Amino acid sequence: MSKYGMVMDLDRCIGCNACVVACKVEHNTPMDIHFTKILEREIGQYPDAARQFLPVMCNHCDDAPCIDVCPTQATYARDKDGIVLIDWSKCIGCGGCVLACPYEQRYPVADNRTSFPDQNKDFKSPVVERAPSGVTAKCDFCYHRIDVGREPACVEACPTNARIFGEVRGEKLANIIGREHAWTLLPDKGAKPSVFYVG
Amino acid sequence: MPDDARPAAPAPEGDWVPSVCMGCYNCCGIKIRREGGKVADVVGDPNAPNSKGHICAKGKARFLDLHDPKRLLKPLKRGNPNKGLGVDPEWREISWDEALDEISARLTKIRADDPRKLVIAHFDLPAYGISKAFGAAFGTPNLHWNRADYCGAAPHVAHLLLNGSFNGELDFEKCNFMVLWGTQLGALAETIPLHSAEMMANARARGAKTVVIDPFCSNAAAKADQWVPLRPGTDGMLALAMLNVLCNDIEGYDTPFLKAYTNASYLVQDDGHYKRDLKTNKPMVWDAKAGAAKPFDATDIGDSALDGEYLVDNTLTRPAFAVLRKHLKQYTPEEAEQVTSVPAKIIRQLTKDFVEAAQIGSTVTIDGHVLPFRPAAIHFKRGAGAHKGGSHTTLAIHLINLMVGNLDVPGGQRGVNPIGPFWQPEADDDGLLVPAQFITKYYKPYPPRDPKVPETLDLNEIFPSSLFTRGMFAWGIREPEKFGITYVPEMLLHCRTNLMMNSHNPEAMAGVLKKIGYQVSFATFIDETTEFADIVLPDSHDYERWDLFPANDPYAFIAPGPGEWYWLMRQAAVDPPGEARPWTNVYLELAKRIGLLDKLYASGNAMWNIAPKYALDPAKSYTVKDIAERQAKTLLGDDFRADSLTDTACMITRKKTVREAYPRPFFNARVPIYLEYLIDTGNKLKTVMAQLKLEWDFRPYTPLLTYFACHAHQHEAKDGFDLFIVNFKVPFITFSVTSENLWIDELSRANPYTHKVMINRATAEKKGIRDGDRVLIESAISKGEGVVKLTELIHPDCLGIPSTLGHWARAYSISKYKGTGFNNFLPAPDVDYIDTLSGQTDSCTRVRVTPFRGR
Repeated sequence: MSKYGMVMDLDRCIGCNACVVACKVEHNTPMDIHFTKILEREIGQYPDAARQFLPVMCNHCDDAPCIDVCPTQATYARDKDGIVLIDWSKCIGCGGCVLACPYEQRYPVADNRTSFPDQNKDFKSPVVERAPSGVTAKCDFCYHRIDVGREPACVEACPTNARIFGEVRGEKLANIIGREHAWTLLPDKGAKPSVFYVG
Repeated sequence: MPDDARPAAPAPEGDWVPSVCMGCYNCCGIKIRREGGKVADVVGDPNAPNSKGHICAKGKARFLDLHDPKRLLKPLKRGNPNKGLGVDPEWREISWDEALDEISARLTKIRADDPRKLVIAHFDLPAYGISKAFGAAFGTPNLHWNRADYCGAAPHVAHLLLNGSFNGELDFEKCNFMVLWGTQLGALAETIPLHSAEMMANARARGAKTVVIDPFCSNAAAKADQWVPLRPGTDGMLALAMLNVLCNDIEGYDTPFLKAYTNASYLVQDDGHYKRDLKTNKPMVWDAKAGAAKPFDATDIGDSALDGEYLVDNTLTRPAFAVLRKHLKQYTPEEAEQVTSVPAKIIRQLTKDFVEAAQIGSTVTIDGHVLPFRPAAIHFKRGAGAHKGGSHTTLAIHLINLMVGNLDVPGGQRGVNPIGPFWQPEADDDGLLVPAQFITKYYKPYPPRDPKVPETLDLNEIFPSSLFTRGMFAWGIREPEKFGITYVPEMLLHCRTNLMMNSHNPEAMAGVLKKIGYQVSFATFIDETTEFADIVLPDSHDYERWDLFPANDPYAFIAPGPGEWYWLMRQAAVDPPGEARPWTNVYLELAKRIGLLDKLYASGNAMWNIAPKYALDPAKSYTVKDIAERQAKTLLGDDFRADSLTDTACMITRKKTVREAYPRPFFNARVPIYLEYLIDTGNKLKTVMAQLKLEWDFRPYTPLLTYFACHAHQHEAKDGFDLFIVNFKVPFITFSVTSENLWIDELSRANPYTHKVMINRATAEKKGIRDGDRVLIESAISKGEGVVKLTELIHPDCLGIPSTLGHWARAYSISKYKGTGFNNFLPAPDVDYIDTLSGQTDSCTRVRVTPFRGR
């Protein structure tokens, strides 16, 4: 299996939110649901204060708690690349995974109406299926793009190349992860994320 | 688990239309995807060097505006004769014919009476050419009322004087010490934003040090190694103190640069004027080797002196550099600490670090050319410049660049393309730089013009060394008689600039719009300014129109430094909905109706860079697309076809030469450290102002860069008016424009700062203000409200108000009443609140903040 992952270079991220809108458009998510976000925080005291940006999304964990907890086996990891997906035909929207995800990256879709006019009657875009009402949705690593050799929408948009996508053990990512002492969010949760951070 | 529970959808192919974004003014290359005749997505064009396939939040979200159900689809006529804030215009739909008949009749009448009574307002850069040709044909000089001056009336002047170009940037590839002063270059908030964001990130990655000087810890400051907060509006004092340290304490200047490329060696008399050669009238320098004064351009100068005193023709003279050094001594770091709040120690250290990083004397070889290498540079913009002393401040900052010799050389600060494929700067008789006409479409700050009693409502005639004075329209229209203007404007053709929100106190602006009387607005959505219109015409979205070529005018929108020359064509991807039409087409239609089309074509032929063989024939009729194609053929060759742009709308002509990439060593024109010409210009202006019996501030008309405190700094805080408001850009919001977009609104609501006003935590504690409090904000002339965010990221003397928010337009549903409008607190232009040299309006004002809780 070629496991896919992403590296977030925090030195490059400027908190511009291009990735957030790119993802929004790609997945045509309902209002206020974003499969990726930029978290911000302040540290220190004036004038020695600083501001940090942290892009977050589904970590596509190796030991994903959301898979373990799903009563209908709607959440699964693709055999070929480990991408964690939700089969909405099986999802009953129970919200177990929403509570189980240590990263708060699963979103219950109560009402799937979106900002597009005509609710996609006119548009096939985005090319992925829009989450129906009553299920849980999240980042799908733009599987529909990577399956045809394109990068995820957030990666493509990012003006500073702060997001690097590829196979975790592939040359591109493995080098960065090793060289830059990459870390993951909340490692003590034991979920083994595939999204790494450097900087 | 199976792999096919959710099968991959095919990647979208086929129906892509390459074009140019207008999510801000920067013209990034994009590709628009259509489905079923409608726009379904947009991405960056990988072929365009200004986007490289990337796109920002504003650009991505922008296509949602195409589908906004409140888009204006039919012309509207005002039913309510009363105009004002909160007044319902009582629109009724009319036909295009009815609208154009009425507008044409008005235009014809005004033109017969006095064409200057027509004012044209818009901020729509690629379309300037259309309205400019229309204005010339019509006979009105009152063009382009907008707020392009708001950020850059002063900073652009500094770039024009010292770089010979409109804008500035840093050598991202080689600079090791980057200072951003009152700007967020590299944080999607400035020029060529996708390019600069990527290049700045690369620079950080290779270890370049970045320092951001700003009262608020902006997105740019968040990425900096050092954030230097200062009291807003005191940037000039900080710059002059740094110059003092640089010139007098550590002597960290580039002597050969000063001698060869500046007027530092020009001899100055006690009266401030140059000592001129009696025969040639050229400014003289002292040849230390020969022990004699010689014209600056004499070919036999052994070594021009920068210091000392010399008796020439019985007149005592000193080199301009010596005069400047002496003048700078008053700006001690200790004095500057009092004014700016930046510790003297930091002022000294920053200057020292900067000079050390500049590696004065070092060289680098590029393609066989041995060039100076100065890898330290400062970039500056509105935060520093939008103040009372804006021109002197930005020039003082830029002089720090000049002193280390980093202008337009590898590693340093660079102007945006002072030399191009068919333009280059020149030198005047005094040897000083005159920017190329092709990239300076406005007035040039140098050589100065002769001031005279204004005929133009932007009052540019009494700002003889300015670039543009568009913020002055509001004053010229308010009180034309005060400036000797003999007519009163009667008609406004307005689109794409929200004057009610982007200028100053809305009550005052409402008075200005009402005074004009008859207003025609082009609009996609009816904003605060359009609410004052008598007729509203439905405008197209920029995905629905063609534009003049190139959309990315090289005066600002081709990345400087090494790289390629690239030219972008905006083409329509879809038709406008309903009866909407591109406003540019309507201008052509109006010109036809009032019998001016031949004149418009003639003006256009002269100003649109169209080769004679493609000149427009007055007997024929052309669309904007036709004109753009002729412009493109002129630039790109006879084979160009507008309809051939299917893969990319970005045409790359060739790689830049070393001369174009690092121009400074390749032209002889000098740049000023001493603005001698301002003495005479100021004296001439005094005569004009005496004629007008106007009180005026002549202080900036001095050759030596000086700190002029903003009005808000001239008195102590009283009655609780103790905070300075400070404004900053948000990377996903452009002006007042993009906030009325659902996707952008989501970001704004989720962001900790965007819809809030920021107060330093310690300051708030003293005032008993808590996080989340709704507060009353009062300036001397206006009131507003905000919701407080307590933060450590702002200077304790400030109230931070982001972007241009707080819409109140009746038709707006998404952004209405969200956030706080910074400009609402600013006074209308007045001599106390403008830089009388550049026409830059002052952003400094004091406010009182009181929580509603407990009142």
